[in-house]
Amino acid sequence: MILQPVPQFDSKSVPPSSPSGHAGATPIASAALRRVVEQTSKVILGKERQIRLALACLLSRGHLLIEDLPGVGKTTLAHVLARSLGLGFHRIQFTSDMLPADIIGVSIYDRESASFKFHPGPIFSQLVLADEVNRATPKTQSALLEAMEEHQVTAEGESRRLPEPFFVIATQNPSHQVGTFPLPESQLDRFQMRLELGYPDRAAERALLQGVDRRDLIASLEPCVTPAELLALQGAVRQVHVSPALVDYVQALVEYTRRSPDFVNGLSPRAALALVACSRAWATVEGRDRVIPEDVQAVLPGVAGHRLHPVVNGVRRTSSDIAVGLVEAVPIP
Amino acid sequence: MRSEEVVRGPAGRLHTPRRLATPASARMRALLARSQLYRIFFGVREPETGTIFLSQRRVYILPTRHGVVFGLALVLMLIGSINYQLSLGYVLTFLLAGMGLVSMLHTYRNLAHLYVSAARAEPVFAGDLARFQLYLENPNRFDRTALWLHAGDGAGSTDVAGRSGATVQLPVPATRRGYLQLPRVTIETRYPLALFRAWSYVHPDARALVYPRPADAPLPPARSIPDTGAAVSAGIGADDFAGLRPYQPTDSPRHIAWKSVAHGNDMLTKVFAGRGAEELWLDLAMLPAALDLEQKLSCLAGWVLHAEREGYAYGLRLPGTARAPGHGPAHRDECLKALALHERAP
Amino acid sequence: MNPAPTLANLLVLGVGILLAAAPHVARLPWWVSALALGALGWRAWAAWRNERMPRRWLLYALVVFGIGAVFLSYRTLFGRDAGITMLVLFLALKLLETRTQRDVIIVTFLCYFLSLTNFFYSQTIPTGILMAATVLVLTAALVGFSGPTRPVARNFRTAGMLLAQGIPVMLILFLFFPRVPGPLWGMPSDAYSGMTGLSESMSPGDISALSQSDAIAFRVKFDGAPPPKKALYWRGPVFWEFDGRSWRPGSVPNPGDPQFDPLSPPVTYSVTVEPHNRPWLFALDLPGRVPPGAQLTADFQLHARRPVRTRLRYDMSSFLEYRTAGGSAEALAAARALPSGFNPKALALAGQWARGAGSDEEIVLRAVDFFRRAGFGYTLSPPPLGHDSVDDFIFGTKRGFCEHFSSAFAYLMRAAGIPARVVTGYQGGEINPVDGYITVRQADAHAWVEVWLAGRGWTRVDPTAAAVPLRIESGLAAAVPRGEPLPFLTRPELTWLRTLRFNWEALANYWNQWVLGYNPERQRGLFNRLGMPDTTWQTMAQMLFWAVGAVTVAFALWLLRKARPRDAAHAIWLTFCAKLARRGTARGAAEGPRNFADRAALAHPRAAARIRAIASLYIDLRYGPERDHGGVARLRALVRGFRA
Repeated sequence: MILQPVPQFDSKSVPPSSPSGHAGATPIASAALRRVVEQTSKVILGKERQIRLALACLLSRGHLLIEDLPGVGKTTLAHVLARSLGLGFHRIQFTSDMLPADIIGVSIYDRESASFKFHPGPIFSQLVLADEVNRATPKTQSALLEAMEEHQVTAEGESRRLPEPFFVIATQNPSHQVGTFPLPESQLDRFQMRLELGYPDRAAERALLQGVDRRDLIASLEPCVTPAELLALQGAVRQVHVSPALVDYVQALVEYTRRSPDFVNGLSPRAALALVACSRAWATVEGRDRVIPEDVQAVLPGVAGHRLHPVVNGVRRTSSDIAVGLVEAVPIP
Repeated sequence: MRSEEVVRGPAGRLHTPRRLATPASARMRALLARSQLYRIFFGVREPETGTIFLSQRRVYILPTRHGVVFGLALVLMLIGSINYQLSLGYVLTFLLAGMGLVSMLHTYRNLAHLYVSAARAEPVFAGDLARFQLYLENPNRFDRTALWLHAGDGAGSTDVAGRSGATVQLPVPATRRGYLQLPRVTIETRYPLALFRAWSYVHPDARALVYPRPADAPLPPARSIPDTGAAVSAGIGADDFAGLRPYQPTDSPRHIAWKSVAHGNDMLTKVFAGRGAEELWLDLAMLPAALDLEQKLSCLAGWVLHAEREGYAYGLRLPGTARAPGHGPAHRDECLKALALHERAP
Repeated sequence: MNPAPTLANLLVLGVGILLAAAPHVARLPWWVSALALGALGWRAWAAWRNERMPRRWLLYALVVFGIGAVFLSYRTLFGRDAGITMLVLFLALKLLETRTQRDVIIVTFLCYFLSLTNFFYSQTIPTGILMAATVLVLTAALVGFSGPTRPVARNFRTAGMLLAQGIPVMLILFLFFPRVPGPLWGMPSDAYSGMTGLSESMSPGDISALSQSDAIAFRVKFDGAPPPKKALYWRGPVFWEFDGRSWRPGSVPNPGDPQFDPLSPPVTYSVTVEPHNRPWLFALDLPGRVPPGAQLTADFQLHARRPVRTRLRYDMSSFLEYRTAGGSAEALAAARALPSGFNPKALALAGQWARGAGSDEEIVLRAVDFFRRAGFGYTLSPPPLGHDSVDDFIFGTKRGFCEHFSSAFAYLMRAAGIPARVVTGYQGGEINPVDGYITVRQADAHAWVEVWLAGRGWTRVDPTAAAVPLRIESGLAAAVPRGEPLPFLTRPELTWLRTLRFNWEALANYWNQWVLGYNPERQRGLFNRLGMPDTTWQTMAQMLFWAVGAVTVAFALWLLRKARPRDAAHAIWLTFCAKLARRGTARGAAEGPRNFADRAALAHPRAAARIRAIASLYIDLRYGPERDHGGVARLRALVRGFRA
């Protein structure tokens, strides 16, 4: 058998709309998406695939975890996405002395009204960049993760809804770095997807070095979609068709992870749901109204990578290794 | 459609390249490696990863002893029919012959086109049985009955209903610590008439972790943690107040000594002691030099289990590595794994 | 890997053994049946209660005892009956030492063999059905032993399926396996006991004993319309010698050649004679042809070279009117010989006729007249006769059967100086309206007389017909007075039953003709019809090999076909992938349709557009929102027309 290379997606290889005549998602939506991708790609060079994945993650209403070494553009990506999507944006730099209130906000006694007034924290924003989330203590982390799960925060016994849409893009350094509190497994599961950016390739890096300052670029970015369009896009994602044959494939993948000797634990039902949701979003980003196995394969490393723990047999294996092995091992039914 | 062969042929691994250097012989070698004879005589040496498909080329079939006896019985019946001119005798003999022939195909079909993949194998202690699990998947509509699997001395059997899967457990004795590779597995069947035996060899890449056999030895003395000042005394509950230490940002606010803060002192954190605060270091070097390495590791494994049972926080120190004190099943398994793989290439 | 057999499967095997052995029980010594049943019961009990089986020494003792007892019963250990008895015994005892499934499987094979032995005695349709059921049960047991987890009902289904799938090979082997005529070696002496038919002598009571039998003697199919019933005299053994009580063939000096002048056109027909372990074949008076392997004696008997031990079919023609050539003086003298010291009254009566008549014909007519008027009665249970049997019959009891009439008439003729002989055979027969075959039964056995008349030769006279005309015109049932026992099926009130029987016998005849009667000749006929005359056995063996091989390969292809997806579009897609794989572009197991299409399009640039179209349509059908059946057809057309 010939081992297939990991499916490589770039905008050029996406085939033109099929001759049988079905258009993708609504044309306006796909045009808006294309603009977002194009604009982001101008800032983050040579990372179009990761940009699309990040976009898919947000469109599937999931939170994104970007894990990589410092300085490869994690923060910039989050920033650019926020600008391009026209979302309210807050950045929280996590540190070890940070308290939950620093995120959620505090009630302060207001002399004028003679009552406690709640000052919302930075989490009350449509897009929250939680930078270096693994530097904070578990307590602070769990405050963030609770907010991510519930889309609301509870302070002083009162629940407050977070704005809609609400996304968290968290970045973390690889956990073997010193002074970090790695996110526990149960909380990693809250992130729909985990991405690794990696170093840019030679050409991209050259362009980066020769080009304008990124900060100036970001400042000059204009939103590509209106909030209404974004909501419509999210609605379109939910409309993407998932056929029984595709569900078979997802089930085959999940069942394989559960019985394979390569993993400590298999994928949870929540992970399977995330896989389907991200596949739908990816299909939307690709401009299709149905999910095909390639979509599942495209998002699988991001969705499954942080949820599967390989049984280490001496060789260190990265999450994308795992996903590639998984794709290879499970035939498409 | 699945691929016929997931296996990549172990081309030429058994031959020295010097003797078979010419391209022709290399080609021969490649051919040989792919041939059935090669498989029959040498087996598949390399463990196969992923899902293994029992293609028709991998399934062999021969008559059983019973099949031979059945054939002889048919010959006798035929002679009787000829001698006595029994038309119905011919009918019966030929019907049974036809049935036997068809049963050969059914036996073959019972095994062919099956998907085999390895499933998890839980870690065991040396001397126990490692229970390997193989997952058999039947893509066809018909049921597969009475499949026997054996590897070494371990054997298991199962039926696989149509379009479903089944897990078979193969107990294999784990004699030494480290990783135990599942030996080559023979899958065979004689169903439906036991006249033929169809079999196939698979060698899935499945390994079970084998911990050293735990020896029963008394625990070494525990050592109190110096900087907490906790008293070394057995039987104290985990919630008993043991002392104060400087505040660290991760400390729970419940444990902050607010009284002391009120007095204008620095923030202090209350420390509670129980056995959890006693650190037990299990060190290979503590063991008498008279023991050999395996005995020492056995002893350490016994200690790990003992310490876990008694509720100590225990750490493990082996030449070259150390594991910080901890407690709980995950920690115990980590320690046992370190012992299992000590000085043993994975 | 070799556990003890389950109780349910043992029970199935037990039923199989009982079915296979049941028809033998009537033939086995009672103690064998009892011993076998006991062993079976013991084994069932042991399996049910999980008790231990008998010890080995006990089994050996039983075996030795059994062999001894069989020897005492049969005076031999070989031969058919003794062999079967031994088989039953051994089977029962073997079952008592089966502990593992492997042992039991051997028992099952023995049972197959035991089933076959039933055909030594009977190959009728009911036996065939019973043995088919037996084989089904045994096979179900065999399936159960190799798949112990399955429920018994499903074992039966599997067994039925296996047997059904064995039928094509069975048919090929049955039709084309080279048939060898005759036994391979000398048969045991008891091989043919129990066949009924006419015997080599005739004494009062012989034929009436046969007349109670519904068994079929032979079947006849006429090429045209059959002659009237009263002309159907099927000639069998001819008796010349009378010792006062029994008629025997005797030795006829200088018998001459069987010559006669036919006076009517021949009738042609074919006869299928049931085995009766005697050499004679039957034909209408007088036979005009000699079947292969037979000969015609001077008194027009057809003799086969060997006793008829298998069903035999031959074509015949006969002349119903004839004039025989003159016999030699010695033969005529033998036909006048009478034992002295018997039947004085009959001698006197014959002397009286002879003195008052002008010619032999006149004497014969007077004698016939005497039989017609003397008030003879026909009965199947004649009163016993004394030393002067003819006198007692003519003047005393006056009740008798055909052998009494013919014996008395022939005696009277000889006493009057006219050469006479007794001919036995069958008279009449029953036409089966279903298939047009005439069935002649043992109940139709008959005896008549031939007298020698100058100028006419041997002339048939049937005194029974004279005395009881109904016997010849309407058959046995009409001739026998009411209230006398009749063969069950000849009773007139059972018309519906007879209709049923006609159908059944037509079926049985078909069975005999085509299943049981499939012999080397029929096989040769089949090969002739297939356009391969003079086929040697080597050719047959080759044909057999290829035919069985072809059937097996066909079955293998059918059984080992790949699991076909339920989704039609997916099945077509797999065909497409297979086509591309033959072109060197094989789809990986985990390769999605779009990726594969892209790769294939690169590899086959000229077909790129078509590859993409197919993949896109497939994606629509399999992953798209609605199932479009027109799309499936379109996809099929696209893939069918695809050439890379």
